[in-house]
Amino acid sequence: MYRKILLALFVSIFLASSVFAKDAGVIKVGVAGPMTGPQAKMGMDFRNGVVLAVEEWNAQGGVLGKKIELIIGDDQADPKQAVSIANKFVNQEVSGVIGHFNSSCSIPASDIYNRAGIPMITPASTNPQLTERGYRGIFRVCGRDDQQGKVAAQFVVSKLKIKKVAVIHDKTTYGQGLADEFKKFIGTNAQVVHYGGIIQGDKDFKTVLTVIKNKQPELIFFGGIYPEGGLLVKQAREIGLKTPFMSGDGVIDPKFIEIAGSGNAEGTYLTFSPDPKNVPTAKSFIEKYQKKYGEIGPYSVYAYDATNILLTAMKNAGRADSKAIIEKLHSGEFIGAFGKIKFDQKGDVTAAPYVVWITKGGKFVEYWKP
Amino acid sequence: MFFQQILNGITVGGVYALIALGYTMVYGILELINFAHGEIYMIGAYLGIIFIGIFTAIGLTEQSPLLAVLLSLTLSVIFCSAYGFAVEKLAYRPLRNAPKLSPLISAIGVSIFLQNYVMLSQGATDKVFPQLFETKGIEFLNLTITVLQIFIIVVSLLLMELLHLYVMKTRTGKAMRAVAQDKTMASLLGINIDWIISITFIIGSGLAAVAGFMVAMYYGLVNYSIGYIAGIKAFAAAVLGGIGSIPGAMLGGFILGIVESLAAGYLSSEYKDAYAFIILIIILLIKPRGLLGKSSGDRA
Repeated sequence: MYRKILLALFVSIFLASSVFAKDAGVIKVGVAGPMTGPQAKMGMDFRNGVVLAVEEWNAQGGVLGKKIELIIGDDQADPKQAVSIANKFVNQEVSGVIGHFNSSCSIPASDIYNRAGIPMITPASTNPQLTERGYRGIFRVCGRDDQQGKVAAQFVVSKLKIKKVAVIHDKTTYGQGLADEFKKFIGTNAQVVHYGGIIQGDKDFKTVLTVIKNKQPELIFFGGIYPEGGLLVKQAREIGLKTPFMSGDGVIDPKFIEIAGSGNAEGTYLTFSPDPKNVPTAKSFIEKYQKKYGEIGPYSVYAYDATNILLTAMKNAGRADSKAIIEKLHSGEFIGAFGKIKFDQKGDVTAAPYVVWITKGGKFVEYWKP
Repeated sequence: MFFQQILNGITVGGVYALIALGYTMVYGILELINFAHGEIYMIGAYLGIIFIGIFTAIGLTEQSPLLAVLLSLTLSVIFCSAYGFAVEKLAYRPLRNAPKLSPLISAIGVSIFLQNYVMLSQGATDKVFPQLFETKGIEFLNLTITVLQIFIIVVSLLLMELLHLYVMKTRTGKAMRAVAQDKTMASLLGINIDWIISITFIIGSGLAAVAGFMVAMYYGLVNYSIGYIAGIKAFAAAVLGGIGSIPGAMLGGFILGIVESLAAGYLSSEYKDAYAFIILIIILLIKPRGLLGKSSGDRA
């Protein structure tokens, strides 16, 4: 009996290793983001966008005459996991990486990709730091928090004409970064009556909201993700704090409204890129996505664009050589679902559009353009 | 603002106290720190969402939200008690006579198991508890309080009083105290030790289920990892009040909630989770057995 099991084991090891050996005929692309954990929905939305793009390329024969194979890495929104995924990708010799989602994951992971010379394009990490360190192979197709914070501050100062704001953040690279940029651009145009952090994963924010209520701000700005954002809005209304609420792209998720309660969420502002549904070039992508996966997520379009850009650069380079791909990414001009995309020296998009959205009737709608 | 923060603290403290009772009762009888207790609380919160979902599907929630809530609460308590009973029977009873460290390790194992079991069966994303009651606060004397806050404070105080009466006045309660004092002597006097221990787990888990259910309803958001930090804080509350002492756990819970609220309000909200442990360290330095812990003998 034992011998049979042992034999089966050996046979299966050989079979498995022959599968690994066959990899030479494909081009590997890594996708990394929070595929499980509290932010899994965001991760899956963006993974689906990548899968769709790769399927389209593979249907047309792949790139450089080879099929594209996706390797999906789950960083669970945890920087430590992100680093181990990055190392795994390097060992598996991927030709490029789409990801990560969270800035706190993208930044440490980009150190590893940079050292290995692998190009990385993030569809969602907006922290300025990511592209400020002179890494040539690190790109993003979304905007930056300083651009986002600026638009939010412009809106608050010139449209709402507000004089007193309270700023809260969740102490993460993304949340605090956004809050800091907002505060910086508010400058002397309005008074910041409260500035402080909360703990990500905490559920009770009544204490900090009670403090804020006492300082009577005219607007609360929150840098963070939707679970805390939703709870903040809900609990603010519970303690009778009816001040307008504004946040960044981290709260653009239907769960935000569900958690806050649709009545409470009504009229909250957030900054995000323009609605892809209003962009004619994105129409065919949205239709395809909806047919396959249902409603598109906020970053699905970016993920799709990032993948297409990486593969186009690979095609332009004529070989799956990282260095050549990075050069093509810097020099080329790409057509994405959102229109033309070109990268600057740092790897940021030259034109990052941010607009203000509002929650209306339980839905997010575009509201104000700077 | 001071009194508003106290009020916020009492609400959270009531929940800590309910969970802390489970820790302290089990410790009083078995001298075991039941690390899986926080997960029972988390399961209580999930069961609440599941049962409310079922009642909404059959249309009961729409007709009478209060009845649906009370029924779901009762059902979560029953199911969680069954979980507590099963955990004791499967993971602790076989180790009753093993060295003290073994059941402790078993408890940590159960905790990891339950957390992953819920994550795999319910998914890793946040679950939302439907809003059934008016969430706008009621204002009086410059304070704002919501219906759910009143509900939490009243229910937790009521349950604590009932537990106190149960332990002090009933035969089973007396037997529990006897087992806590001396297991061998109690069994010589004809007390069924196994049954008393099971009862302790059932009651403790039931209280944790109530806490979990109320928290799910109050914050409206549940995920598989909430049991960890709540469990650690409730454990701190139990130690603070003197582990093994039932009034101590209640006192510890409220003190913890209020201190946390005031410190987060007046010092900095960024270190909210740290205050619980700072106060614990201070109290333990001054009174190593906790506020109401008995100082004589080895047993609580």
